[in-house]
Parts: sequence; C-alpha cells; structure tokens
Amino acid sequence: MEKYFDINYLWTALPQLVPFLWITLFVAALSVIFGTLLGLIIAVFKLSKNRFLQLLANSYITIMRCTPSIVLLFLVYYGIPAFADSFFGIYLQDVHTGVFVVITFSLQFAAMMAEVIRSAYLAIDKGQYEAAVSVGLTPFQAYRRIIFPQAVVVALPNFGNGLISVLQEGALAYTIGFIDIVGKANLIIANNYNTHALEIYIALAVFYWVLSVVIAKIFELLEKAFSKGQRSLKTS
Amino acid sequence: MNSSFINMEFLIDTFFVALSGVPIALLVTVVALAIALPIGFFLALTRINEIPILNGFTKVYVSFVRGTPIIIQIFVLYSILPLVLASIFERYNIDFPIYEVNTLWYAFIIFSFNTAAILVEVFRSALKTVNAGQLEAAYSVGLTTAQAYRRIIIPQMLVSAMPNLCTATINLIKATSLGYAISLQEITLKAKVAANVGYNYLEAYIDIFIVYLILCITVEYLFKVFEKRLSRYKAVATA
Repeated sequence: MEKYFDINYLWTALPQLVPFLWITLFVAALSVIFGTLLGLIIAVFKLSKNRFLQLLANSYITIMRCTPSIVLLFLVYYGIPAFADSFFGIYLQDVHTGVFVVITFSLQFAAMMAEVIRSAYLAIDKGQYEAAVSVGLTPFQAYRRIIFPQAVVVALPNFGNGLISVLQEGALAYTIGFIDIVGKANLIIANNYNTHALEIYIALAVFYWVLSVVIAKIFELLEKAFSKGQRSLKTS
Repeated sequence: MNSSFINMEFLIDTFFVALSGVPIALLVTVVALAIALPIGFFLALTRINEIPILNGFTKVYVSFVRGTPIIIQIFVLYSILPLVLASIFERYNIDFPIYEVNTLWYAFIIFSFNTAAILVEVFRSALKTVNAGQLEAAYSVGLTTAQAYRRIIIPQMLVSAMPNLCTATINLIKATSLGYAISLQEITLKAKVAANVGYNYLEAYIDIFIVYLILCITVEYLFKVFEKRLSRYKAVATA
C-alpha cells in the first residue's frame, strides 16, 4: 500500500520550485514600486485641501480595503481587456497575465501605502519644515533633506508589513493562470496525478514562511539602523 | 460604444445569486470569530505572562499564520485534516465517514485557525496599552484575577483593540472568498458558477465586488457604532 504522506516528494519539489520563486519576488517587487508611486499620489490627494480630491482618495482606499484580492484580480483580468476592447477598440487579450497580476497588486498596495505615507508625513512635526525654511532651505530642499528622511523611518515598519502582505496576496496570481511559485506547485501536483498535494503545499508554506520572516527581520534591522540618531522620549 | 461590454440582465440576475452567498460567508465569519476570540485572548495572555512552552508554541503558530498566505494555509489544512482525522478515527475504531463531512466544517476550522493567530497579536498589543497598575489596583481592592480581567482589564483593552478587531473581521470576510478552494458555497463561488454558463465572468465579478463592498462598509459602520459605545470606558483607560 502506498503511503499517504511521503516526505521525498517535498525534497524533490523544493529545487523545482526555486526558479519560480524569483517570478513571485519579481512580481511583488514591481507591484511595490508602482504601488508606492500611486500610493504617493493618493496620499497627496488625501492631504490636499481640495474636498473632491480627498473624497476621491478616501473612496479609493475604502474600495481597495473592502475588495478581496481574488475579486480584484479577476476584475482587472477580465475588466481591462473588455473595457479597452469595447471603448477604444484595443485588443488586449494577448497581454501576458503577469501584467494583470502586477496591475492588481499595485492597485492594492497603493491603497495600503497611501495610508502609510500619510501617517508618516503627519508624524513629522511642522516645526521641522519651518525650521528648515528659516535657515534658508528652499521648500523642496526642506522636504528632501529634512522631512523625507524622517518620514521614511516612521513609515518603515508599516512598509515592511505591506511588503509581506503584497507578497502573500500574490499567491493568488495562479488563479488567472500565472505561473509563479504557486502555479508551478499546482503543475507539479497535476503531474503527480493530484496525489501527494500535501507535501508540495508544505514546501510552498515553507518558502513563504521563510521569506516573510526574513523580510520582517530585515526591516527590523533597517529600522534600528535608521533610527540611530533619534532622540525621542522613551516611553515606559 | 459596444453594447456587449456588459450584459445588464445577467448583471442584475447574478447580483442576487451573489447575494444568496452572503449568509454562508457571514456564518463562517461569525463562527470563526466566536471560536477565535477566546483562543486568541487566551494565547495572548500566555504571551504576555510568558508562560513556558505555550509562549513558544504561540510564537511559532502566530509566525506561521502571519508568514504564509491564507490560500496556502487552506491548501495545507484541507489536505492534512482528513488524513489526521482518519488515522485518529481508525486507531480508535470510530466509524465516521470523514470524507463525507460538510465542507462548512472545514471552513470553520481553517478560518478559526487563521483568525485566532491574528487575534493573538491584536489582543497582545491591546493588553499592553492597559497600565499594569490597573491590575494591581484591582487586586488591592479585593477583586480576584477573573473579576479583575472581566471588569477592569478587558473593558479597557477592548477600546484599543476595536480598530484592529474591525480590520481582522474585514479581512476574515474577504478571506471567505477563498472558500472556492474547498468548494464552500459562498459569494464568489456562487456567482462564478452562474457565470460559467455564458462566460459572463466580468459581470459576475462586478456583482461579487459590489456585494463585498456593501458587506464590508456595513461591518465597518457597525464597528464604528460599537466603538463609540465602548469609548465611554476611554476616560478611564487614558487616565
């Protein structure tokens, strides 16, 4: 009788999955870059005095927070080509699925980042800017040299959390046929005639677990390194 | 404009199909929360009080749940649970049709497993906001530990836990959309199945999107109302 659980499948799956880890990471990295840029714009909208822009930013954040990743993924995957086709007559059915994955998770990451950037900006005392301008810096210099470095330190832990979350949500990309690490794992399982799925899934879990722990650790160290010069009041 | 962009009739019909999945999604959410809240709170206490073994176990458990995507947790648990249960039942000669169990039970277990770990961190950070002097003061006026927690610590803790509890609940509702992986008849799966007939996936997902939006905004509103009611304890908490 065959064993239900055979650890050998796990060991053979690991090397097969490693090349696809880079695809997962690459997609996450692109989403983080585009998402941060979009998030910056939304944060600026939210901080602006214009009521309409504020409403726009708030609605965007609420909608993104309330939509499951898988729903957003499919909305982007089916919606963008259909929209482009019927309104502009552009044919997008051949676009690589990876593009839709990156669009989806950029949109999602942007909503997270908008809040992170906003709270980081608000955490910096207004006196910092005034002091910088009063010693003769231009507003741009003041932002670049005084506000930005301080805001980055404040934003760092939340940015790390967002990064881990976008990496994990990315695990759903396989649902639209994108072959990343999860997609490859499902292919391996299909090759085994749908047996020994558990071993492969455990291998996947290990990959994600290690990645998340490493990223969390890196951000912890970064935070420690950057807040070296900080002299804030120690509470407790 | 091409009129075939959206099939309006299908969009409206399927909206009610998607809506019919709401009770299941909410049931899973409520049951998972009901199971996860006490477990999460108890494990948070073991972390705070640094109880040996349990503290370490909780650390690993929380790290695993936070470190892996929910879909992977569903995959792993959904394949491991029948194996484990079957071998237990076999050992004790219990005749139980393990492979015919309603998938709803798996959903309860999987989402409780996930949410409990998230709540450990929520409660841990909330408990830390309560001043240690509160417990000492409660003891000094003669309350037992259980009384002190029930009447002094928990009401104060809940105030600061509320926003994170709201996020956890929203995330749980969103996570039930992954129930398709265990063929749970919830919002996403129902609408998707309806779309399979005529390939109206876009319309189906627009419906699903709207249903979740309504659901989450309602939950968020309810939490806000509840938070306002709770904040009468706040004056004590920050004093």
